[in-house]
Amino acid sequence: MDLALQLLATGLVVGSLYALCAIGWGLIYGTTLHFHVAHGAVFALAAYYAYVAQTWLRLPLAVAVLVAIVASAVSGLLIDLLLYQQLERRGAFRTSIFIASLGLLILLENVLAIVFTPDPMRMDIGALNTAVIIGPVFLTYLHILTVALALAGYGALMLFLKRSRWGQAIRAVSSAPEMARTVGIDLRRVHLLTYAVGSALAAPAGILVAMDVGAEPFRGTRFVLLASVGVIMGGIGSIPGAMLGGLFLGLLENLGIWKLPSEWQSAISFGVFLVFIVLRPRGFFGRTIHSAEI
Amino acid sequence: MPKRLALLLSLALLVVAPVAAQQAPIKIGAILPLTGSGASYGVWMKGGTEMAAEEINAAGGIGGHKLEVIYEDHAADASKAVNAMRRLVEVEKIPFTLTSYSAPTLAIQPIGAQSRVVMMNGGGQSDNLANKDYLYNNIPVVSNEVGVLCDWLTKEKKFKAAVMIVANDEAGRNSAKSFRERFGAGGGKVLAEEQIALDGNDFRAQLAKLKAQGGDLLFISSYGRNVAIVADQARELGITIPMAATSWVQIPEVLKSKGAQGMLTTRLPFNPDSPFARKFKERYKTDAGFFAVQYYSGTRIFAAAAETAMKKAGGKLDGEGVKNAIESMKAFDTISGKLVFQPNHAAVMDIEVGVLKDGKVEVEKIIKAAQ
Repeated sequence: MDLALQLLATGLVVGSLYALCAIGWGLIYGTTLHFHVAHGAVFALAAYYAYVAQTWLRLPLAVAVLVAIVASAVSGLLIDLLLYQQLERRGAFRTSIFIASLGLLILLENVLAIVFTPDPMRMDIGALNTAVIIGPVFLTYLHILTVALALAGYGALMLFLKRSRWGQAIRAVSSAPEMARTVGIDLRRVHLLTYAVGSALAAPAGILVAMDVGAEPFRGTRFVLLASVGVIMGGIGSIPGAMLGGLFLGLLENLGIWKLPSEWQSAISFGVFLVFIVLRPRGFFGRTIHSAEI
Repeated sequence: MPKRLALLLSLALLVVAPVAAQQAPIKIGAILPLTGSGASYGVWMKGGTEMAAEEINAAGGIGGHKLEVIYEDHAADASKAVNAMRRLVEVEKIPFTLTSYSAPTLAIQPIGAQSRVVMMNGGGQSDNLANKDYLYNNIPVVSNEVGVLCDWLTKEKKFKAAVMIVANDEAGRNSAKSFRERFGAGGGKVLAEEQIALDGNDFRAQLAKLKAQGGDLLFISSYGRNVAIVADQARELGITIPMAATSWVQIPEVLKSKGAQGMLTTRLPFNPDSPFARKFKERYKTDAGFFAVQYYSGTRIFAAAAETAMKKAGGKLDGEGVKNAIESMKAFDTISGKLVFQPNHAAVMDIEVGVLKDGKVEVEKIIKAAQ
């Protein structure tokens, strides 16, 4: 039973990271219908922004993290402005945008590997690394911070979407783009905003992983893959769904090995996903997936 | 007179220089973990090889030919090693290559054997590397080390029940298999085993599972920096039982890691105060380690064998000649003593056992090699 509790706690931490990636990715996909795999590159970039800000610019950790989140938001915005919008202007298919995004992901990952080597760059996180013992469960302060930040990120995003004018514009574009256009909403500017917000949500996940085990260039691919799985499980267009999907995947990955050997970790996640999606293609609470949307 | 002498000398140089330049260099390969989780081994392996090549060239090369080493990175990936080997064999036409790690070396061995290119492995230790055509290991296979470790753990330290965390690759699995056998033979029992990815960095779930199994010892059958991560995360999860490992953990990341202190480990002989180690530190501004000596020696062994082979073949050099020379010479003088290739194409060495304290292994006992 102690083991199950430990796995539950670890799963919650990992799930929080997936959830942060998933709500950002889900917001972008739900609004723009871009299958934005370069989200993984933003995730990786965020880690290196934080690393550079702390180690090269010698900023205090909290400031370095804030700088990195802003830089990541700008990076996401620039990806839309300089790549996707150019492609759309020239009448590219969604598939072309997906392939371009994949190309950008591979390119940026390799540039990071050339500049920083493929080895993990460790950050100095001081006392955050201290172990916290809660009954039979061992965590670090960083892990607790991870769960807290995921909840805070989710709460802030929901508030932003429901209460702010720009948030409402994003929701309008997400649910009925043509209607939004006719009432005078500038789709391009809403897309840019969506990329900035979505990227700012992926950034803490990338930074938290880097704070735990170091910044690495190729880690984003796995996270963006799991984020998209989380979004599809949660239901496309649903932010609560993406949050739940991400948490569910983290818990599944960890609790799944309670009774099974750990080398099955990935197979369990994707196996459950396949069964789930066949039985419930709309996910927890989403729209139906149209093949044309990918 | 000085003017005329100078003129004569420069004329002489004009005549001699082209002759020296005509001696084509001898190219050999070195397929090493230059990046990835084992990059620390790569720094030593490449440094040792470079130092040997420079010394050989400063002393006139091999039979008048300069030695040129072509470095390739396998990053612990067998398919990268195969690509590198193909390039070295087909484009560079090498007679010999240094190689490292178990899975990459096993992957390139058939290519080497087929194209008659001698491979010298100074790092990989899977037992499956023994008895392979054209492959020589100037390092003992891991079962030798695990045997010594298990005898010490079961007979002297009285450990009874171990759990294992195992790198999911050739080296990790092979060493785990030896541990299971030898720990069992000493009266101990392996309660559970969890596999981890060599390039992973979060092993908490696997460690939590092992923690639930109890046991009085955690054997880490892995290598590279992930051992340091395992050790730190194990302590973070409240795993307090002692840890054990083989000489693979003798790299700075592990020796300095907080979690790894107190680890019971084997070591292969390395003297940090030797002239070689001092020279290495001066040149690379970092401490030398066992694997630096290994690849220095591997390169030296090649030079000695190539010299013999060329004498026999009237100045010609090919992989078959190098192989025959190694087979006939068998014993080579190295900076760490006489190295004798056993009939299984592997070396035997003294094996030390000790405890890691404050970043250094305090050796408790040395088990002499039976040559």
